[in-house]
Amino acid sequence: MAGVSLVDVTKRWGDFVGVDDQSLEIADREFLVLLGPSGCGKTTTMRMIAGLEEPTSGDILIGERRVNDDLPKDRDVAMVFQNYGLYPHMTVGDNIGYPLKVRGTPKAEIPERVRVAAEQVELLEFLDRKPKALSGGQRQRVALARAIVRTPQVFLMDEPLSNLDAKLRVTMRAELKNLSHRLRITTVYVTHDQIEAMTLADRVAVMQHGRIQQLGTPVEIYNDPKTLFVAGFIGSPAMNLVEGEIRGGTFLADGVPLLARSGPDRTGLVLGIRPEDITVTAPGEGDFDAPVFASENTGESVLVTVRVGGRKITAKADRYTDPRIDETIGLKVDPTHVYLFDAATEARVDADTAR
Amino acid sequence: MALTGKQKRRFWEGIQVVAIVLFTLVMLVPIAWIALAAFKRHVDVYQLKLFFEPTLENFRTVFEPPYSLGQKLFNSTVVAAATVAIAIPTATCSAYAFSRFELRGRTALLVLILATQFVPAVVIVLPFFVMFRDLGLLDTLQGLVLVNTAIVMPFAIWMIKGFIDGIPIDTEEAALVDGSSRMQVIRNIVLPMAAPGLVTASIFCFIIAWNEFLFALILTNRDAVTLPVGLALFKAEEGDLWNLLAAAGIIIMVPMFVLALIIRKHFVQGMTMGAVR
Repeated sequence: MAGVSLVDVTKRWGDFVGVDDQSLEIADREFLVLLGPSGCGKTTTMRMIAGLEEPTSGDILIGERRVNDDLPKDRDVAMVFQNYGLYPHMTVGDNIGYPLKVRGTPKAEIPERVRVAAEQVELLEFLDRKPKALSGGQRQRVALARAIVRTPQVFLMDEPLSNLDAKLRVTMRAELKNLSHRLRITTVYVTHDQIEAMTLADRVAVMQHGRIQQLGTPVEIYNDPKTLFVAGFIGSPAMNLVEGEIRGGTFLADGVPLLARSGPDRTGLVLGIRPEDITVTAPGEGDFDAPVFASENTGESVLVTVRVGGRKITAKADRYTDPRIDETIGLKVDPTHVYLFDAATEARVDADTAR
Repeated sequence: MALTGKQKRRFWEGIQVVAIVLFTLVMLVPIAWIALAAFKRHVDVYQLKLFFEPTLENFRTVFEPPYSLGQKLFNSTVVAAATVAIAIPTATCSAYAFSRFELRGRTALLVLILATQFVPAVVIVLPFFVMFRDLGLLDTLQGLVLVNTAIVMPFAIWMIKGFIDGIPIDTEEAALVDGSSRMQVIRNIVLPMAAPGLVTASIFCFIIAWNEFLFALILTNRDAVTLPVGLALFKAEEGDLWNLLAAAGIIIMVPMFVLALIIRKHFVQGMTMGAVR
């Protein structure tokens, strides 16, 4: 097993920049998630590690070895594709055994190793079927078994759960987590689903425009976003981002005072507050009062959206809250989890989260 | 009298059925006529008798001198089979490259290949004759194989490319990462998955080569004559020997019917062979 290093890697197609001068160190046995919206370069990054794309410049290392010029087959990686990439003309058993067969594993060993891999993903009774006769979740397992049948240096997973329905995705996510815990193989996992990133990753790299915006543990990414993009991308419901200014120790949105905020007067700011860091109170008892715009009961909680000037702020209240629309309520913000960003540069301006 | 919606629909359905029956008759009557004539004596041919005493005499006659259809049957089989044997592997390589690789001028090349099909054979058959005369390929099977390969190639490339395009790239990339070389990917993944398409293309090419008439007519005269050209032999001084012509026609058609039956199965398979998603 080995780590993976990207050194100043750039991928360009004509004028289009897919990955922009990116460096990244992935530790041995680490589970790293590349997270970002479509077109952010996360899949391209993974495909360059797999050898399916060639970097325009920069180096890719697996362990100590520079693999830029190696064919995919010589990189000793295994990959799970979004569409699974199963071989429809082969049985499940032959699909799983293909990496062994093509790499010259002695014929006598193959059935046993296929059986072991199939057992890990609970596919034993389907070995003689063709992929066509399997459900989506079972096909996903075949793709997984095909990846774990050998012990590669690195696992690469390209949105492996995105073709499954919502319920199955949650189940498979847990199984992936369990599997990766047991195998402890360096894994690069691409997704646009922040829950997958939060739950599976040792570290998350949030990407945008071909660059990693922030790299850190899921907790760091969630609690300490370095840029406006990361703050807005992670979290569901999304973080409230309110443009405004600080004047006289108070943050004002459209001239409406929201909450006390020490520091010098400054304009062109964006205030970020997660909905779960806002509590609903009686009018006058919170940091500010505002009329209710909408109240959505999701079952486990109630999302209360209020109107402040021309903007809307959402709070995640407990499931017994039941405000009426247009009723004025008070909102109290947890001061330890308030983020300020520069509206122009999108960078965090307060390193300290304390007031 | 106004028609109700239902009556209108019935009326149109009736017209459609009549039209279909008419077209089918136009297509089938000549074939039926040939099929009957092949078993008639010369004297019965021009009579539209459905009931006559069938004979296999015609089939015997066509294989005897001076007609010797056996030789022509052999030539046709060799030419068509050799054409397929050369064209399909070559076209498969070419189709794979066109389908999967970024080539400079790929689209232009593809259109150019197709464009060769637009040139009427009559226009180029004479230069071919001159060229083949100089190369010593006139009246040889090799020469005919060469011409037929050139004729079916664009068609084969386009058709096979369609089938390869239908194979999801994920499947090939998975095989590459799993440890295959490019050749292994083609052998283990692409060829098995494109097999129905390859069979279909092979049969189509066989049929084209089998039926090819114009080049064979101009470029052969004795040794390498093929079946379609051989039909011209049955013009005798006493008029066209329709009963013999019909028997030879049946000999040409029957293998094609058999192939058409095979193709039908594979063609549907080829069309529905989708990716596993």
